[in-house]
Amino acid sequence: MQVPVTLKVSAFALFVMGVYTYYANSIPQLQSKPPEELSLEGGNVTPDQLVKAGEEIFKGKGTCEICHRIGQKGTRAPDLAGVGARAAKSKPGMSAKAYLIESLLSPAAHLVQGYPAIMPKVDKPPIALNRSEVWALTAFLESLGGTVTVKLDDIPKTAGAAPAGGAAPAAELKLPGDPKAGQAVFMGKGACIACHKAGPIGASPVGPDLTQIGKIQTPDYIMAKILDPASMGTVAGYPPGLMPRTFGQTLTAKEYLDVVSFLLTQKGEGPAAKK
Amino acid sequence: MPSFSHKDNAVLRTGAVAGQLVRAIWAGAMVLLLLQVMPALAQETAKGAEAYRAFPLFGSRLAVWGIAQIHLNFAAFILGVPIFAVIVEIMGMRTKDPRYDWLAHQFVKLVFAAFSTTALLGGLLLFLLIGYYPKFFSYLTGIFYSTMWIYAALFFLETFTVYLWYYGWDWLSGSRKWIHLGLGILANLFGTAILLISNAWVTFMMSPRGVDEAGKLTSLWQAINNYTWMPINIHRILANIVFGGTIAAAYAAFRFLSAKTHEERALYDWMGYIGNFVAISSLLVLPFAGYYLGREIYSFNQTMGITMMGGFMSWLWVLQAILIGVLFIGSNYYLWLGMERIPGAERYRKYIPYLIMVLAAGFMVWATPRSMVVTLQESRAMGGTHHPVLGFLGVMSAKNTAVNLMILTTFLSFLLYRRANRISVKPWAGMGMAAQWVIFGLAAVIVTFYGVYGYFVESIVRIGFSVYQVMAVLGAIVLVMTIDIPMFKGARSTGTIRWGQIPPRSQYVLILLAVTFTWLMGLMGFARSGIRQHWHVYGVMRDTSVDAVTPALGYAANVITTVTAIFFAMVFFIFWLGSLGEKGKHPHGMGPATAGSSEDRR
Repeated sequence: MQVPVTLKVSAFALFVMGVYTYYANSIPQLQSKPPEELSLEGGNVTPDQLVKAGEEIFKGKGTCEICHRIGQKGTRAPDLAGVGARAAKSKPGMSAKAYLIESLLSPAAHLVQGYPAIMPKVDKPPIALNRSEVWALTAFLESLGGTVTVKLDDIPKTAGAAPAGGAAPAAELKLPGDPKAGQAVFMGKGACIACHKAGPIGASPVGPDLTQIGKIQTPDYIMAKILDPASMGTVAGYPPGLMPRTFGQTLTAKEYLDVVSFLLTQKGEGPAAKK
Repeated sequence: MPSFSHKDNAVLRTGAVAGQLVRAIWAGAMVLLLLQVMPALAQETAKGAEAYRAFPLFGSRLAVWGIAQIHLNFAAFILGVPIFAVIVEIMGMRTKDPRYDWLAHQFVKLVFAAFSTTALLGGLLLFLLIGYYPKFFSYLTGIFYSTMWIYAALFFLETFTVYLWYYGWDWLSGSRKWIHLGLGILANLFGTAILLISNAWVTFMMSPRGVDEAGKLTSLWQAINNYTWMPINIHRILANIVFGGTIAAAYAAFRFLSAKTHEERALYDWMGYIGNFVAISSLLVLPFAGYYLGREIYSFNQTMGITMMGGFMSWLWVLQAILIGVLFIGSNYYLWLGMERIPGAERYRKYIPYLIMVLAAGFMVWATPRSMVVTLQESRAMGGTHHPVLGFLGVMSAKNTAVNLMILTTFLSFLLYRRANRISVKPWAGMGMAAQWVIFGLAAVIVTFYGVYGYFVESIVRIGFSVYQVMAVLGAIVLVMTIDIPMFKGARSTGTIRWGQIPPRSQYVLILLAVTFTWLMGLMGFARSGIRQHWHVYGVMRDTSVDAVTPALGYAANVITTVTAIFFAMVFFIFWLGSLGEKGKHPHGMGPATAGSSEDRR
């Protein structure tokens, strides 16, 4: 029996595509996941926790490893082994942390000889580290041969001021909620006050201080954090899994939007800044 | 009943026309007003719109991905085939061979059938974007609203011009053929303008410009003329020609394999050759356009460039190298098989092993990865993430050199094919051939020199070297052809081409090229879109949907294969529809002699 040409050609085309597909499936499968936001403001963070958080940013959201190596000379960027010690001697009269912070926020200011000026500002999109993340990353770099001395106050308040994503549609989101009603929910039905502080309201240290949450986090983050706390990670220094996942059932849609609107108004000075 | 004079009628008509004119001006003014207001309106809407909706069963991203890719394949088909058809029509006018005109007409007929499918898929894609990514689409509309009007107008103009081009084929023949050709060129100009506009939207997402830090529009022209716009324009125009050529060749291959008579086989063998010839001509230049695009991506954002080449996408380029290797080796193999049907080609057979060696070596270098994720054991065994020896071949210096030498080799194959049954009778032929070899050698030396030198300079300088390599190869092609054309004008023939007497496996090579190129288009679409990672508009508007994860290559390959299979099934159906009108007719209607009739018209 003669096989029809249509069948032969179709089988051949499928075979060719099958080979390509098989090959693509047989090599390492790498996804690019969106980075999670890290917030350390208001948290009791030990230097070790800070360095660990900074190392994760170095390898992940910061995308530093694309060019920098630790203990290996790169062609695009300098080796960072011992940078914590080197940074203290790089510019007379400039501390290690000041040098590192400026190198992260204005890379062109301290270009290492022999390397091209290709490093982006880490607090601007697309990397867009927030202030906490710049703090942690600086601590990690200091730890490479030096001593961790950086405090949150050392990071300029303008660093990472633009929300991650920076686009007008996200930045200028106006929720239909009522902040005053949200404050009532925060203190009453939501019982948020049992764990959180928000400006002059509350004093509980169980969860992170939310006094600055409207400044340091995006509306998307706050909304997701209330409905599914685990999905947005845990603020360093606090136990994971403590925040209930039931607000999606217990709050009405209006109450939920009111609470989010209230939290978005929390742009005050945090405890770290007051110290 | 009152009666009206002609004058009254004229007055009434004048009044009616004036009324219509006023209404038209009024409508025009309203449209202009809308054009002014809508962008701002859309940006306002974007602030409060619901960000995402979920497409049932398989999610919004997959729905948009699938439809966008099929739409893009069809769009490339209806933009690429007319370019191909005009080239063939020009060849027909130059050679006075009616087969070219017949071939051009055949392909415009197929484009005609694909037009409505493309438009339907475009409409479906629009609905999906509006429905499932409303906030993002509102934002994009806010930036590009005015260009969308022009896009729609151009689509009408292109459609009507193609209609006129197709239906006026016989009417605008003979002395009016120039007008007909003009229509074909005009259709292509409209089509290219459509491509440029939609490219502006897509490239803005990748390398935005003309907006401030908050994402608000500051300059529409800058938003259009962003870093990657022109490179993508050039890349897509060239790729569309390759695509049109490979699809045309695959169609011919299918008809060849289904042919019942020798005459049919001869006709479709010739048709496949022409399709492949047009495709290869454009394919030779395509890698250069790719490097231009790569350079602009690095200029826009080094992080994006490095992520693309050395980050999570590093393996994708190995797969791309394999696909392009298949295209180059397949194209050469087809030419070598084709030489078997040309008397006199035997004298060039001895060169083929050397050509294979260069192509195979180039293929291996191009497929060598530089940076990749390896297991700890693999890393230890290799002494690092790069192989101690082969790792040096994985960098752009080596790859640029390899691809340029592969292009030179493919051009040499074409040159041998071109002169297979011809012997120059010019007295200066010996000197001419020597000059050609010198040009080939010089080009190879320049390419290799910059390839080696590239290891000792910074990446930004190294990227610039690719321009010199490209210029050397393009210059060599132009110079060699400048000598070759007069050298073989009026050449002595060693025999006629035996069209139709080519092994059937050659036709499977043509199908392989079409499938591979279509698959490659899907892969490159994934690369272009994927390097934005979790951004709708890179660095400006973040993707916060559940689909913000950029999937791995395996998943992407599964999608690409499924979509490509669906695309070919649809094209097959359209070709079948197109062939219904031919049932019971002569295979090519006009019945010109085919076998061996075009030995000097290759």
